Amino acid sequence: MHTLSAIEIRDKFLRGEVSAVSIVETFLKRIERYDGEIGSFLSVFNERALAKAKALDDKRKSGVKMGKLAGIPIAIKDNIHVKGEITTCASKFLINYRAIFDSTAVRLIEEEDGIIIGKTNLDEFAMGSSTENSALQKTRNPWNLKCVPGGTSGGSAAAVAARLCPLALGSDTGGSVRLPASFCGVIGFKPTYGRVSRFGLVAHGSSLDQIGPLANSSADTALLMEVIGRHCEKDATSYSGPLENYLEGIDKGIKGMRVGVPWKFLDKLAEEPKQIFTNSIEVLKKLGAEIVNIDLSILKYSLAVYYILSTAEASSNLARFDGIRYGVRSPNAQTLDEVYDQSKENGFGPEVKRRILLGTYVLSAGYKDAYYKKAQQVRTLIIRSYQEAFKKCDLIASPVSPFTAFEIGAMKDPLQMYLEDIYTIGINLAGVPAISVPQGFAKDGKPLGLQLIGPQKQDGRVLMAAQAFEKATHHLLIPELVK
Amino acid sequence: MKKFTKETVKNLVKLSRIGCSEEEQEAILQDLEKIVGYVELLEEIDVTDVPPCKHVLDDLFNVLRDDIVGESLPRDVFLANAPSQIGGMIRVPPVIKSK
Repeated sequence: MHTLSAIEIRDKFLRGEVSAVSIVETFLKRIERYDGEIGSFLSVFNERALAKAKALDDKRKSGVKMGKLAGIPIAIKDNIHVKGEITTCASKFLINYRAIFDSTAVRLIEEEDGIIIGKTNLDEFAMGSSTENSALQKTRNPWNLKCVPGGTSGGSAAAVAARLCPLALGSDTGGSVRLPASFCGVIGFKPTYGRVSRFGLVAHGSSLDQIGPLANSSADTALLMEVIGRHCEKDATSYSGPLENYLEGIDKGIKGMRVGVPWKFLDKLAEEPKQIFTNSIEVLKKLGAEIVNIDLSILKYSLAVYYILSTAEASSNLARFDGIRYGVRSPNAQTLDEVYDQSKENGFGPEVKRRILLGTYVLSAGYKDAYYKKAQQVRTLIIRSYQEAFKKCDLIASPVSPFTAFEIGAMKDPLQMYLEDIYTIGINLAGVPAISVPQGFAKDGKPLGLQLIGPQKQDGRVLMAAQAFEKATHHLLIPELVK
Repeated sequence: MKKFTKETVKNLVKLSRIGCSEEEQEAILQDLEKIVGYVELLEEIDVTDVPPCKHVLDDLFNVLRDDIVGESLPRDVFLANAPSQIGGMIRVPPVIKSK
């Protein structure tokens, strides 16, 4: 069962070959068996998932039309609300916070008969690149337990890679779905900004955040996007484009498409990842794509722009965690100021504090124009550069990360950790869709991803290209550990 | 490169209302110096006449609706997560102390 795609599992269920209860039991058993070592889940909803499965079995027998995700167990990153369940954001501050409403993405999944199976680990408040910033537990890479799964959606990526669930939701502010997908050898998709509602996603950088799927096939990714990619009136930045049938055209192929490669921007890439990336470009050529050189040299500024804007937005967004209305209030606080100071001091980890302070700095009087405004101006230039590039090509290809998963504890300098995201961050700044699709393995056996990027609102084109690449290669493998 | 002083960090700690030990402030000072040093890379780029980005999508507009009272969360549901409550309200330490 666990070797099947989400679509195959659903179809078996719909044909009556397997019950929803036995699907859920299979994956719960796998979680029980393997997740002690991997640590991808923060909470597993045994009872809830089995009750939903039982209801779905009854529904199917009654002959009622079933939803698109019928019988598919889906894991949710623990910064996305599931009503009635704890949302920790992997922070000590929210250790007891029980969501009082559903996120739109979760509501849509349940309306289409998907089964929420549990919540997955992340870097605290989705700040990091390795999931090591989780205040609650370590998550290990199923390809190599000494290594990180990438971050910040590391729990979701590791769970999907280890086949503990066929599908998961992550969130991506600067690469947080694509980087762990690359490190864990699965598919991770960051939709166009505004395609998936952010309602019920705990905000990090509101102008950058998008919820996105992690999966073991492009078609499964497209299926989940069909369900969650729709307008939502509870998110003012949700765009009101029509519903799209991403699955319908997914097999069209990329013959005749122009794929742009920013070679100059990639010149610092090390030998091995460069070789693997070059091989991928050859695959795209064989599939009939025309490769063109594009200029995205502006992206050398993307990291600087990102760390000004994302921390500025985070410092504002995280001000709500003050210990008054929810979260852990410091028991020793005697005055109101002490409630704020001590609750945050005890509740937040070092990276969260660092980013709030940096964000406060770039927004503070006397510095705002030099940092924040300047960064927004350079962001305009980055958006324009992508627009120019997309006049010459239909898609852009690049690596997801300069390297494969690193060992837990190896990356000590925060700035070095930030540089991890150099190839993924520009995409969030420009609001365009991008996917990480496995493109092979380094000599040490660790996977790495190819990034395919489309113009705004061309999410379907990106999924189609990923599908063509996936079918022409065979890199979506199951780690030895969990076979 | 911008020099950070202990006072800068102290002020940021105060502005963001995060309690922070002396040792933590020292570590943060060094990190901030490094990160801000890095983002000063932006100084070399000319942005004269470039408008600051307001939104990445160019076809968004204000979302308006009629001013009609809708459903809201029941008080007990909202209060379920409050760390301290009294008589249907959130309890906080006294802001003004009585004599």
